[in-house]
Parts: sequence; C-alpha cells; structure tokens
Amino acid sequence: MKTESCREWRESLGAYALGHLPDDERAGLEAHLDGCAECRAEADSLALVSRLLPHGDPERFGPAPAPPTALAGRVAAAVAAERRDGRRRRRLRLGLAFSGATAAAATAALAIFILPGGSAPGPEQHLTFRSVPQGVTIAATLNPQAFGTEIHMYVKGIRSGTLCRVFMRGPGGADVSAGTFRYRWGGDEAAVLSSALDLSRARALVVHAGGHTFVAPIGGDKTAMYDKPQQEATT
Amino acid sequence: MPPGALTRERDVREAYAAHAGELYGFAMRSLGDSGLAEEAVQETFLRAWRAGERFDPQIGSLRTWLFAILRNVVIDLGRARAVRPGVAEGGVEPSVEPLDEALLAWQVEEAMRRIGEQHRQVLVETYYRGRPYAEVAEELGVPEGTVKSRVYYGLRALRVVLEEMGYED
Repeated sequence: MKTESCREWRESLGAYALGHLPDDERAGLEAHLDGCAECRAEADSLALVSRLLPHGDPERFGPAPAPPTALAGRVAAAVAAERRDGRRRRRLRLGLAFSGATAAAATAALAIFILPGGSAPGPEQHLTFRSVPQGVTIAATLNPQAFGTEIHMYVKGIRSGTLCRVFMRGPGGADVSAGTFRYRWGGDEAAVLSSALDLSRARALVVHAGGHTFVAPIGGDKTAMYDKPQQEATT
Repeated sequence: MPPGALTRERDVREAYAAHAGELYGFAMRSLGDSGLAEEAVQETFLRAWRAGERFDPQIGSLRTWLFAILRNVVIDLGRARAVRPGVAEGGVEPSVEPLDEALLAWQVEEAMRRIGEQHRQVLVETYYRGRPYAEVAEELGVPEGTVKSRVYYGLRALRVVLEEMGYED
C-alpha cells in the first residue's frame, strides 16, 4: 500500500541498495519495507542493479573509443564482395562435396569422355607449404584440367584481408600468374584459381602474401625436380 | 525468411550505423588493440551478413545477436593470436579477463556512460571511491539529502539503460 511515508523512504532506497545507510536509518526503512510491497519491489530491483556495479571499472566510464570512419566503408566493401562471390562460393561448395577420390575418378572419366583419344590427365596433387611462420598454413590442391590447372588454395592464420598472389613456375623457371585472392579471416573455403599451364609441366607453386614469398615444389614431374631441385624459400 | 532478416546490403549498413560503435568499444576493451578490434568488427558484420537469413527479431534484438557473434569472433581471434609466433615465443601474454566477465563489465561501463553526469558522479564518489555522503555533498555544494537522492535516481537510470541494452539477470 502506498502511503505518505513511501515518499520519505523512497530516496533512501539507493543508499540502502548500496549498503550505505547508517544502522538506525536502515532499521527504520526495513520496518517500512516489511509493510509496503511496492517499496519492497523497488528495493529488490535496485539490489539487482547494485550487484552489477562491482563488474564495472570506474577508470573506464569515460568516452569509449570510436571506430575509425573508414571501417564503415571497408565493411560495406567486404559485404559487397561477398555478395558478388556468392554464386561462385555456392558452386565451390558443390564441387568440394565431390572431393577426394570420387572427384578425381569423375574428372578422369569426364575428361576421357570429352577428349576421346586424348591422354587422361594425371591425378590431382596436394601441396603443403613448409617454410611458413608458426601458426600459418598454406596448402593447395592442384587439379589437371583440359585448359591447364585448377588450383584450390587453402590459407589459415594470416591477417584477414591479406592479398595473396599465386604463380605457377613453368619448365623454364618463369613464374606465370594464376590470379589473386584475399584471405578472409574465418573463411574456411578454398579460393579457386586457374592457370593455362599444364600441371605436368609445372615446377612449383609460388605464393606472395604479406611481403613474403612461399614456394612449394610440384612433385608430379620427378625428373624436373631432380634436374634442378626447387629451393623452398621464405624471403 | 523472417521479416527483418539481415539480407540486403542496406540492412548491414543500417546495422553498422546503429551498433558498430558499441561493438568496437567492446572489441577494444577485450582485445586491447585497435587493429584487432577493427578486424573483429568487420568479421562480425560479415558473419552476420552470411547468416542474415537466420536472424529473427522475434527471438532477440539485433544488438544482442551481433554481440553474440562478436563474442565468438573475439574467442576465435584470441585463439589465433595465441598461436601467433610473437606471443607464444615471447612468453609474456597479457593477463586476459574471461570473456563473459569482460562482456558484463563492458555493459556496466557502457550503462554508466549513458546516464547523466550528476548521477554517474555520485555513484563513482560514494560507491566506487567509498567516500562519505557528507563529504561528497560539501564538495558539490549541495545538501547531503541531494546526494542521497541522486544515488537513488542514478541507480534507477542504470536499471533503465541496462534494460534497454537487453541485460537480463
């Protein structure tokens, strides 16, 4: 029941919730709360708030740092890029569902069917880049195709947004661009690139990322490797 | 697809305008690095965009949903940082507050920023600094009863702000 005395007690409820009321005042207030459900409910709800206070650090009550204005544009651009890539990513997921031996067999069968009389392409090759910083993974799967080589790049552990440029090293030692992709932190999907170079003629896969160059020899053509061993290098 | 789902680029822009400041503030508080905080906020909106069709405002607010995503992003970033050579080899990892404690702390601090200066001031002086009401009253040049009533209205204001922020106990 709300009474005149509520008004005089109400404003003590804050100090009461924080445990700041002198004993005599607290006793008087508690006597009132025993008989007033409304003030009791208010006291209880302020007690809940007061229990959160120890979690806050008063040194941090000042203005919070604001994000740089350029971040809005970067987020918008990243979302737009993702929308444009949407169709390709869906296709890729479908492709990955058939990965492994089944895919290799299917690819081979398809190639034989399309190219009667032509030589069936060799098996796909898996490459892992070894001389990389701790915590970083760079790997690739190379699929021989009629047009050349399809490259699936997997990258983990580098800074999000890093531009990666991929090259295939030809038999003459020249690096031929196979395209670029950006590593997006949290993205688990492979980037799919392609090169006109036949896998059987490729000597190495080269990745430039974040100012470093990573080289993985391609072992399909053993003679090429033994002729002139490829140096795995981190510069 | 529920109405209000985050499916258009415009939805993301609006969500960014409404919530990026807070998300960045929390990311800065838990990661302590502006570069990482920017990365975390960008990743949060990308993940929100990817999962946009699943967001249902009937279930929870956009703000709560974004914070839940950011929380996961911060955990993942923390893991990625833990395996990064510099930190692992240096052997001096800054002490890291458990994430949920950081989120709770951040909510209290953000609520404190949103209430009026007079209310925040008396709560800081009487509660956090433990100063007597009479002393605070004298310093502010107001009666002691005014300090007491500001403490009461300050706590009420905090309650309202925390409710607006979606805090549930």
